[in-house]
Amino acid sequence: MAKILKIVFFICIGSLVLIGLLLHDAHARFWWEQIPDFDAIFGFLGCVLIVFASKALGHYWLQRNEDYYDD
Amino acid sequence: MTISAIPPAFIFIAGGLLLPFLKLKRAKQIFQLLIPTIAFIDLLFMGQGTYWTYHFLGYELIMGRVDKLSLCFGYVFVIIAFIGMVYALHVEEAGQHVAAFLYIGSTMGVVFAGDLFTLYVFWEIMAVTSVFLIWYRKDKKALDAGFRYIMVHIFGGCCLLAGIIMHIADTGSIYFNLIDLNGPGSKFILLGFIINAAVPPFHAWLADAYPEGTITGSVFLTAFTTKSAVYVLLRGFPGAEILIWLGAIMAVYGVVFAVIENDIRRLLSYHIISQVGYMITGVGLGTALAMNGASAHAFCHILYKALLFMGAGAVIYVTGRRKMTDLQGRNLYRQMPVTLILYLIGAFSISAVPLFSGFVSKTMVIAAAAETNNALIFLMLHLASIGTFFCLTLKLTNGTWFGKNTEGNGEEKIEGAREAPLNMLIAMGLAAFACVFIGVYPQVLYHILPYPVDYQPYTTHNVVNTLQLLLFAAAAFWLYIDKLGGKHTITLDTDWFYRIPGRLFLSFCKKPLNTFRSNVQDLLSKNRAFVASLSKNPFTIPSVLAESMRLKTTSVTDRERKEEISVRLNKLKSITYNENRYRISIGWSVMGCIGFVSVFAFIFFCL
Repeated sequence: MAKILKIVFFICIGSLVLIGLLLHDAHARFWWEQIPDFDAIFGFLGCVLIVFASKALGHYWLQRNEDYYDD
Repeated sequence: MTISAIPPAFIFIAGGLLLPFLKLKRAKQIFQLLIPTIAFIDLLFMGQGTYWTYHFLGYELIMGRVDKLSLCFGYVFVIIAFIGMVYALHVEEAGQHVAAFLYIGSTMGVVFAGDLFTLYVFWEIMAVTSVFLIWYRKDKKALDAGFRYIMVHIFGGCCLLAGIIMHIADTGSIYFNLIDLNGPGSKFILLGFIINAAVPPFHAWLADAYPEGTITGSVFLTAFTTKSAVYVLLRGFPGAEILIWLGAIMAVYGVVFAVIENDIRRLLSYHIISQVGYMITGVGLGTALAMNGASAHAFCHILYKALLFMGAGAVIYVTGRRKMTDLQGRNLYRQMPVTLILYLIGAFSISAVPLFSGFVSKTMVIAAAAETNNALIFLMLHLASIGTFFCLTLKLTNGTWFGKNTEGNGEEKIEGAREAPLNMLIAMGLAAFACVFIGVYPQVLYHILPYPVDYQPYTTHNVVNTLQLLLFAAAAFWLYIDKLGGKHTITLDTDWFYRIPGRLFLSFCKKPLNTFRSNVQDLLSKNRAFVASLSKNPFTIPSVLAESMRLKTTSVTDRERKEEISVRLNKLKSITYNENRYRISIGWSVMGCIGFVSVFAFIFFCL
């Protein structure tokens, strides 16, 4: 089951990248929208960025023991 | 027909007050569902216009300003009131339902208020009634969180009142419409509004209190307070530039905090902050598309966020566990598959997956940001979308229903876990149906938005880009899946600034200040007789004090002098007050008065 899921996932990703390459956005307002598959790159890097930024923030600063506020 | 409509606020408030008088359980339940139904029919009968105006102290109070904007929010509030009541049908404690009805009623009052005074009154009722939905959980954490919640809202209410008074003094009118953002009055009003909208740094009350509410009460909480704040912002401050930035920061802020959260309902609460960020940005952009986007997103958000809270609530109701660390790896998907599927519909909706409701509203706000060439805002909103999908569809689903047991206790399933009660499932089903229906057939939503809609969400480009964004975020998640489980921690937020200093202030009062008080008290009680003797004659106090000091400072060897002083002292003490002895002629008093008046006149006229 997990294996099928994985294959389906990769097929989806691959075909989306291909479709993205074929599409051309005539209504693009920003320069980066001209880059093919920009959203794929942004999605991946953005997710990594969010995870690392919040984990770092939490680890070094914000996360405390559960009894932090207890008397 | 419009004349026969009655204020929807009144329907809910009257319903809430009548509910405790029903004794039969079944009758109570029917009544609970009847009230939102009546309110909905009432809304359908209300044509646009102004109703229920009253004259009060020279001002005109408007209880019913009905236009497309207020109706749009009115509809969704009534719908969610109905769904929330279905979800809460099994709760037998009438008080909870009364609080919920009064809370809903006051929110309806806010939405249809046409003047600032009516708005303020309902605003305060909203704060006071909603806190009971937290307190009814009845454990210490809930009581404390409720107190902090109500304190923040009272502060917000005071800001709003101060702003309203200044605004009325400036403009002379209490009519509530577009407010120019200049002068302190408007700024205080804005502050009052954004505290309720949970805009950072005034957002901590939300993530602090909502996870502590009752399972059914929190569903109501998620819908009304923040979204009524969005409504008043749409009404009062469209196009206020500061809101664009506040909203975008909010959207990202909520996501960042959600990523490191362990408590499932607190994670969802941070996503309320994030999602309301999109609406606030929409309000700030102020174009027709942005305003439509903000309203549409509020509409969809209320439905899917309630669905998500109902899903999380069902898990907590059944298992008694609220942390991912206690849930992951227990294969809960086997015991609660229906809840899982309904929850996932909510998660897809909030993540703006095509064919679900978030897609048709969130993309509107983002398109509005693009339309006005706000590049950074556009990217921030996209980033928040990725984070939302990551947190809710991937992390929370994995951490609640699937995942690996990291506790090391080998527990493979939670004993006694089963599907939630039928009424809960039906409520979730209704919300899920609404999410999918709006996603597939957005025209039904676009039709009730405040401005005419010329927007098509389902363009090839929009769909492909969104799917790329989401699936590649999923790919990133897959890479780090093992490192993303919950941790036994809590996250500090801006509530630190009132929780810790508040505690320091309390311990300052308990220790140093209290010691000082008891010292003073000791001193006075020891010398009580002496102090009492002083009161015999106020006029001799200075000389008595002087003589006593002299007696104390005289050395013990100088016995003669000591005796002399104590004789004098006793004599002084024996003089009692006699009014005739100290009386002065009336002329002095008159002279004093004249002197005072002339000084006053001098200051008044000359300076």
